[in-house]
Amino acid sequence: MKRKIALLMVLAMMLMALAGCGGNESSTSSTEKPSGTSTPTEEDKAKEPITFTMYSADVNPNADNFQSPVAQKIKELTGVTLDINYEAGSNPRQTLSLMAASGDYPDLVFAKGDVDVLKDAGGILQLDDLIDKYGPNIKALFGDYLPRLKWSLDDPHIYYVGSYPVYQETLTPNGLFWLQHAVVKEEGYPKINTLADYEKAIKDYYHKYPTINGQPTIPFTLLADGWRFLISVTNPAWAATGGSDDGEWYVNPDTYQAVRHVTREEEKEYFKWLNHMYNEGLLDPESFTQKYDQYKAKIASGRVLAMPDAQWEINDAEVALRQAGMEDRMHGVYPVMISSDVKCRVNQSPGYTGGWGISISTKCKDPQRAIEFLDWMCTEQAQVLTHWGIEGVHWKYDENGKRVFLPEIDQQRRTDTSFAKKTGIGNYTYPFPEWGNGKKDSTGNYVQPDSEVTDIVKNYTDTEKEILAGYGATTWMDLFPKPSEFPIKPWGAVWMYHISDTDITAIDSKITNDIGPRLIPKAILAPEDQFDKAWDTYLNEMDKAGLPKVTDAINKVLQEKLQLWGVTK
Amino acid sequence: MKLTGSSASLPIGNNPRQKSIWTTISQQKYLIAMCLPFVIWVIIFAYVPLWGWTMAFQDYKPGIPFSQQKWVGLKYFIELFQDPYFYLVLRNTIVMSLLGLAFGFTLPIVLAILLNEIKNDLFKRTVQTVSYLPHFVSWVVVASLVTEMLSGSGTVNNVLIALGIIDKPIQFMAQPKYFWWIVTGSDVWKEIGWNSIIFLAAISSINPELYEAATVDGAGRFTKIWHITLPGIMPTVMVILVMSIGNLINIGFEKQMLLRNPLVKEYADVIDLYILDFGINGARYALGTAAGMFKSVISVILLFMANTFSKKVADVRVI
Amino acid sequence: MKRSAGDIAFDAVNYTLMILLAMVTLYPFLHVLAVSLNDSIDTVRGGLTIFPRKFTLANYKEIFASPNIGWATFISVMRTVIGTITGIIATSMVAYVISRQDFFARRFVSGLFVITMYVSGGMIPGYMLMRSLHLINSFWVYIFPGLISAFNVIVLRSYIDGLPLDIQESAKIDGANDFIIYARIVMPLCTPVIATLCLFIAVGQWNSWFDTYLYNGFNEKLTTLQYELQKMLVNAQAQITSTEDIYGMAQAQKLQRISPDSLRMAMTIVATLPILVVYPFVQKYFMQGLILGAVKS
Repeated sequence: MKRKIALLMVLAMMLMALAGCGGNESSTSSTEKPSGTSTPTEEDKAKEPITFTMYSADVNPNADNFQSPVAQKIKELTGVTLDINYEAGSNPRQTLSLMAASGDYPDLVFAKGDVDVLKDAGGILQLDDLIDKYGPNIKALFGDYLPRLKWSLDDPHIYYVGSYPVYQETLTPNGLFWLQHAVVKEEGYPKINTLADYEKAIKDYYHKYPTINGQPTIPFTLLADGWRFLISVTNPAWAATGGSDDGEWYVNPDTYQAVRHVTREEEKEYFKWLNHMYNEGLLDPESFTQKYDQYKAKIASGRVLAMPDAQWEINDAEVALRQAGMEDRMHGVYPVMISSDVKCRVNQSPGYTGGWGISISTKCKDPQRAIEFLDWMCTEQAQVLTHWGIEGVHWKYDENGKRVFLPEIDQQRRTDTSFAKKTGIGNYTYPFPEWGNGKKDSTGNYVQPDSEVTDIVKNYTDTEKEILAGYGATTWMDLFPKPSEFPIKPWGAVWMYHISDTDITAIDSKITNDIGPRLIPKAILAPEDQFDKAWDTYLNEMDKAGLPKVTDAINKVLQEKLQLWGVTK
Repeated sequence: MKLTGSSASLPIGNNPRQKSIWTTISQQKYLIAMCLPFVIWVIIFAYVPLWGWTMAFQDYKPGIPFSQQKWVGLKYFIELFQDPYFYLVLRNTIVMSLLGLAFGFTLPIVLAILLNEIKNDLFKRTVQTVSYLPHFVSWVVVASLVTEMLSGSGTVNNVLIALGIIDKPIQFMAQPKYFWWIVTGSDVWKEIGWNSIIFLAAISSINPELYEAATVDGAGRFTKIWHITLPGIMPTVMVILVMSIGNLINIGFEKQMLLRNPLVKEYADVIDLYILDFGINGARYALGTAAGMFKSVISVILLFMANTFSKKVADVRVI
Repeated sequence: MKRSAGDIAFDAVNYTLMILLAMVTLYPFLHVLAVSLNDSIDTVRGGLTIFPRKFTLANYKEIFASPNIGWATFISVMRTVIGTITGIIATSMVAYVISRQDFFARRFVSGLFVITMYVSGGMIPGYMLMRSLHLINSFWVYIFPGLISAFNVIVLRSYIDGLPLDIQESAKIDGANDFIIYARIVMPLCTPVIATLCLFIAVGQWNSWFDTYLYNGFNEKLTTLQYELQKMLVNAQAQITSTEDIYGMAQAQKLQRISPDSLRMAMTIVATLPILVVYPFVQKYFMQGLILGAVKS
């Protein structure tokens, strides 16, 4: 018994020691004075070591504790050490709420869409003056887009330095309709431009091959697991009817009026087509009950001919097919539209959306230094460092003066999942300001790797190249109208808009998460002559729940943004 | 077994109300010392945070000082009670809870009793260990397994077709009327082993001499179970039952959230999911707090009702 | 001892039922083990039952490659041991006190504890409380707030109620004070339930990560095993939900990463194995009958 007590006391003492080292993390900083200097010059002051604490609402599997070569180089060039805490759960809003409630802010915060929590609590600084005085590169980078960072008409100040590339050109299409390579090969590369073409290709192949690898063929399937419902079931509706990604909304490019996209007549036609596919026996009956991993398993088995979805959602399955050597069972993306006279606008660019960025908190130990750091991040030197790495160590100029990765680095980044962690390349790009791949630097190179078409093609499978050749194209983008064919959306992207009235967001939440998932499947799975009635029921439910209020709120924000950004008066 | 204060000569059963308060305290000083720190503990950690209930009456925004929060009175409660979907959700919660009580509460008891009847020690301990393993498999995995097994090409359909009971696969997960049973069944599968542990512990306190005496009297298995085992664990069973009834409305949300799909949503959504969908995720703390308060009130009422019932019927009380 | 036909039939049915139960409850765990030992990309194709198709230890390597995992395990063990010891002492004291019919505040204290099972102030008040008690960024936030579960108290109390009262009385006559009666007489008789409650508390401590997330989320020295695993899982789930290249997650991640599903399976095994190892030692306390030889007064 005595021995047990002694053991417990030892344990207790160890714990006291542990508890003692508990409080030292994440809230200390050190501003060490350099020894031997009497009056520091401007440059010396800028290079004085300082540590900024930062919270990021995104998870980062490759966090490197500021130990990577790139991070150390940043420290060498600026004197700044970043102590970044990444979100470790799935609800950053919760973390931010606790932060606001307790008042324990780090120096910098990247709050994404929940930055309103911090603003309402008075926890972040207005950055207008700071940017004006200490942010020349920020001003140069954002240029005419700088007004897009302003908060609102009532409060036209800047509260964050914008994330996401400012000048970005999509090289991969944002198409949502996928069709198996084997199908187009078999059918002799038919034009896949309309729902009718899509359906015909699927149907013809399905009737020829009712089984694949001994299992029943699935002509067409959807994914409705939780929030993925929006990606696979409802987003394709705007894609097929001339819309582009504005979240749940569609903005008329002439009148700048927003409507809930599913309420458009054209989109009703799309859902009617889904209903038709169901009644033809081409729609997978498990579309609305299957979970994400079952969906992926089906695709990875090679039996799914077609599905509407985003590339990143089916990526795991496509990779599995590739690994299993089933390249012709992988899928290609096509510009499927409701009819041939509607142009595919999925690639229309929102320009710089300006909704998210890094804020400086009221508890920041040196806001001027913080802005100077963010300003430095906008320079060419910083952009090349964070995207490419250190010259000679990670990249070099080839004989044409083109910037290329060293061969072993290039190999590593394609195969090593902890590449970013080991080198730091890619770890300090997002959410800090980025140029994007649309702008060349002073050496005539892109500041981002993979900015050229040739880079994209390198990753294609042989079958992909074969298919594209069959269509007379070299990349998938060639099948689509390109971004340059459309004006940049002057309103940015509606999915980044923020409504502060929680009563309105509650209605929006209800419509998106409850009414839609409940009633849309009922319409799709109805007998053909019942579709219209079911669809009207759905529209009525949304109106009853308060959709007009939400529409008004969104349009108000939209008009505000247009005024704020100088598009309208 | 229970003294109701009749024998005045036995100090432990004595009725203290006839003495002065100081004598009582001095007589019971050890008892007070043993529980006072923890009473203080419970007040600090469980009751002090209840100031958060005021958030249900405000348009709460974190970070703004208490005095500056906007008061909205009963707005969120009214919104809650006016939403027809809330009542649907309430129905689902109650039904699944009752099913959970009927099966999830009784079957572990049956399992404990049956395990107790196994004579081979190794077999008994092995089965018991295996039986609780699903408790440690997360609901995410279990839900995935269940959905897979009930899918068109899943095990259940394959077996039914092989046995000739049906000729086309049934989409079980697509039928609202099956959902409540699927949830209950999954829960039993997952928790029966773990939940039986407490009953096994209760059974092990029963005096083995009682069984020996009964055998001598010629009692059979069922008689012994009915007259010895069950009464022996009745106090434990009753208190757990009462506390579970108090929890009728706190069914949680994880299994419903993972097993639901758009086609059965009207039968799957429960109160905690409702709060999650429209409260927390919409950053409407007030709504979440209001619903939480509602649940607490209902739970306490149910608890006291069950407690009184248990006292009358089985002479066992929780409070 | 002669066994009747009814007895034998009962046994036959019982044994069969138990075997069926064991098979049905073993399946999910074997499935998890199989997937955890299966190549992550191959797992996407589905169809695994209880054997891996493409054997690999990569999923486990991923877990053990995490730099904090050793220390996190140490903290988890610490909190489990300390939490269980303190928890069972606190719980049993309260349970004993409210089991005493003569205790003047019996109903008040019972009620006070029981009601806590059904009320909560919410996350923000809880956080503010921890903050003012300086429990944020501290090991003790794992011990104090969760010290007593009212459910455990009531279950133990009802067990004590079932013990014969004469033991306590004879000890009192012999001059023992309440504490001695509690510690030397009553508690040893409650071994089955004490063991069970220790199991519940220990498993609760071992499995909890949300408190780590809320209160010590950014403190590497106080991380726990479950929290590290949880972080790994969330990281693996961090998909690129746009065509942008976020945090350098493009190329290699898309082609090679360990998928969250595989990781989750390996996590389950890693977290559960220690419990399985320790469990038989606890099991013997509540699976054997208790001999109440000392009852004769």
